[in-house]
Amino acid sequence: MSAGRALVVWCPDWPVTAMGIDAATPGAVVDGDLVSACTAAARAKGVRRGQRIRDAQRRCPEMVVRDRDGDAEGRLFEEVVAAVAALTPRVEVVRAGMCAFPAAGAARFYGGEEALRVLVQDTVVELGHDSGVGIADGLFAAELAARADGGGVIVPPGGDAEFLAPYPLAVLDRPELADLLRRLGIWTLGDFAALPAGDVAGRFGADGGRAHRLASGAAPRPLAPSTPDTDLSVQTEFDPPAAQADQVIFAAKRLAEQLHAGLRAEGITCVRLAVEVGFADGRVQERLWRHEGALSALAVAERVRWQLAALDLTRQPADAEAAWGGVTWLRLTPDQPIPDEGSQQALWGQVTVTDRITRAADRIQAMLGHHAITRPVLTGGRGPGEQVIRVPVGDLPPGSTADGPWPGRVPAPAPAAVPSKPPAATVTDAGGAAVSVSARCALSAPPAQLAVADGPRRRVTAWTGPWPVSERWWDPAQARRRARFQVVTDEGRAYLLALEGGRWCVEGVYD
Amino acid sequence: MEARGPVGGLTSGDVVPVMPALRPVVPGRGLRPGWVIRLGGPGAAALGAGSLGLALLAGASRGGAWCAAIGLPELGVVAATEMGAEPARLLLVDEPGRRWPDVVAALIDAVDLILVRPAERPSATAARRLAALARRGRCVLAVHGVWPGAQLSLRTDTVEWHGLGDGHGHLQGRRARVVAEGRGAAAPRRTAWVWLPGLDGTVSPADAPAADAHPSLEVVA
Repeated sequence: MSAGRALVVWCPDWPVTAMGIDAATPGAVVDGDLVSACTAAARAKGVRRGQRIRDAQRRCPEMVVRDRDGDAEGRLFEEVVAAVAALTPRVEVVRAGMCAFPAAGAARFYGGEEALRVLVQDTVVELGHDSGVGIADGLFAAELAARADGGGVIVPPGGDAEFLAPYPLAVLDRPELADLLRRLGIWTLGDFAALPAGDVAGRFGADGGRAHRLASGAAPRPLAPSTPDTDLSVQTEFDPPAAQADQVIFAAKRLAEQLHAGLRAEGITCVRLAVEVGFADGRVQERLWRHEGALSALAVAERVRWQLAALDLTRQPADAEAAWGGVTWLRLTPDQPIPDEGSQQALWGQVTVTDRITRAADRIQAMLGHHAITRPVLTGGRGPGEQVIRVPVGDLPPGSTADGPWPGRVPAPAPAAVPSKPPAATVTDAGGAAVSVSARCALSAPPAQLAVADGPRRRVTAWTGPWPVSERWWDPAQARRRARFQVVTDEGRAYLLALEGGRWCVEGVYD
Repeated sequence: MEARGPVGGLTSGDVVPVMPALRPVVPGRGLRPGWVIRLGGPGAAALGAGSLGLALLAGASRGGAWCAAIGLPELGVVAATEMGAEPARLLLVDEPGRRWPDVVAALIDAVDLILVRPAERPSATAARRLAALARRGRCVLAVHGVWPGAQLSLRTDTVEWHGLGDGHGHLQGRRARVVAEGRGAAAPRRTAWVWLPGLDGTVSPADAPAADAHPSLEVVA
């Protein structure tokens, strides 16, 4: 399902870089009393992520220590994103310190993947930041490719699984899962990927299944095949234009709450969030942010602030407001909708039920394929077989379904059995001749006997018809003319029969 | 639509709900989790088995249970909905093929009622294993076809269709006598007349037909 190629730009030790600490200077940023990032120089002295600050300082007493400032990280990274966005549109910020974009088109434009990789890397390095750039089929592999081998590598198309195989489980960032797997003797992504998907989903649940798909180089979650019909984007206008960033950020938080409520109502979440800011001078600034259903309204507002802050950076603080002329509108648009398992739990009322069903469905899909287990959705249609579509579990149902009047719909009760491939039938009159219907819907003779497929002939005790159905008469290729009958046989079974082009078939059995 | 039970699934320890029209033939207040119910029978006794399955499914689904149909690609979802089933709580595995025991085993822990048509006659061992899993998973198995050791068997023995004449009318309902036979707690034979289905597709209790009503339509199978 390789939808394309992904390029990831990774700036190492970004939390430290954002605090203005040079890579050559031993330094660390701390979160509470734990080291959350450190420079290469500090690492050389034995400082590690997650270490207690006291232990780190014992190893490297001259180390510069700062408190972590997520805001500064986001603001400064906007500069990098803006530089990359000058090369290609649709840059997506995965988190501060890492951004990504689809590589296929850009690679063609810039003369190949290696040329693109070097160009992007040089662009970021020119800003004064160390960086690694990697290209692979999937985002996860591209991220590891960006970290690989001093500056990043290119994973050939289709080579994700092979590239990921030797990596330790720690890169999945799921410590509990990694710990369990290690005790089972599984140390690398390759070992993990070799386990049968169904068993992994059964034993480790939906999140384990997601990790397994990552490890095998597949997308973490299958994308929804269809987008909902409803426009879920939310927008707010500022009149007069908002001159203060705070004003926009406040509105962004409210807007994000509105957006999340809308998504929740549809039972979906989005992979990415597009934030568009419109300025009084007509310019529009757009950024994509990785969402995965994990961003709170506050976090969304924070990202809007980073986006605005980037503009301030390039201008004098005094005339910043004059320069952008104020914000006139702000729009949040969810991108790539996926079913939200979390909110469905709330909808169905019982947490355990959803989890159990997802797990069982995962196992069956691993056993028989994605389309093997479905949920029926009722739609419009005349025939009993047309009124139901089957949506694989995990996919989004189609949006609104046409429920217009359906003249010629077979009246209730509906048949209990609707064969997916209607079997042929033989309908004969009292004399044994086949019953037919003329173009003007006149019956040749009342039906007296019915045989389904190669079954025995049954006497018809009651019948009605023909009910003519003329569908899509405006389209010669798809036009269908049919006549429907209801028939009861002497064994006590009732049938819905259709006659089309001289052939009888059983559309439904009132079993 | 009126609510008949908790909207979000059953609480454990509950029986799986049965629609009111079928309560006279089902011992206890509903289907006991772990039961295996055989629908229909050989030859003419198979008549109405499809609707009986849908009726069980509709009763359970309407009461808040999750249901699955395995190996029944022709299942009439519209008919089940007319009987009161909630399609959002229905899972369909149309073509499990020979892996149907694995599919049943996978779903037994997840749903409250499974409707299944085995691809082949199950061996006594496979039947015992699935029955044990059903007891542990607190799930009801309703089986089309032969099943060694079913607790309850449901079939119709007399049916008559209404609404159809000789070239006019349309099917409006079927009056059927449902027969339940069981083992142990469900031992005595019970019968009930029901509209399976009635005019609007629902299942409701019916009066026993008068002896001379619609003699031309009545079929004793």
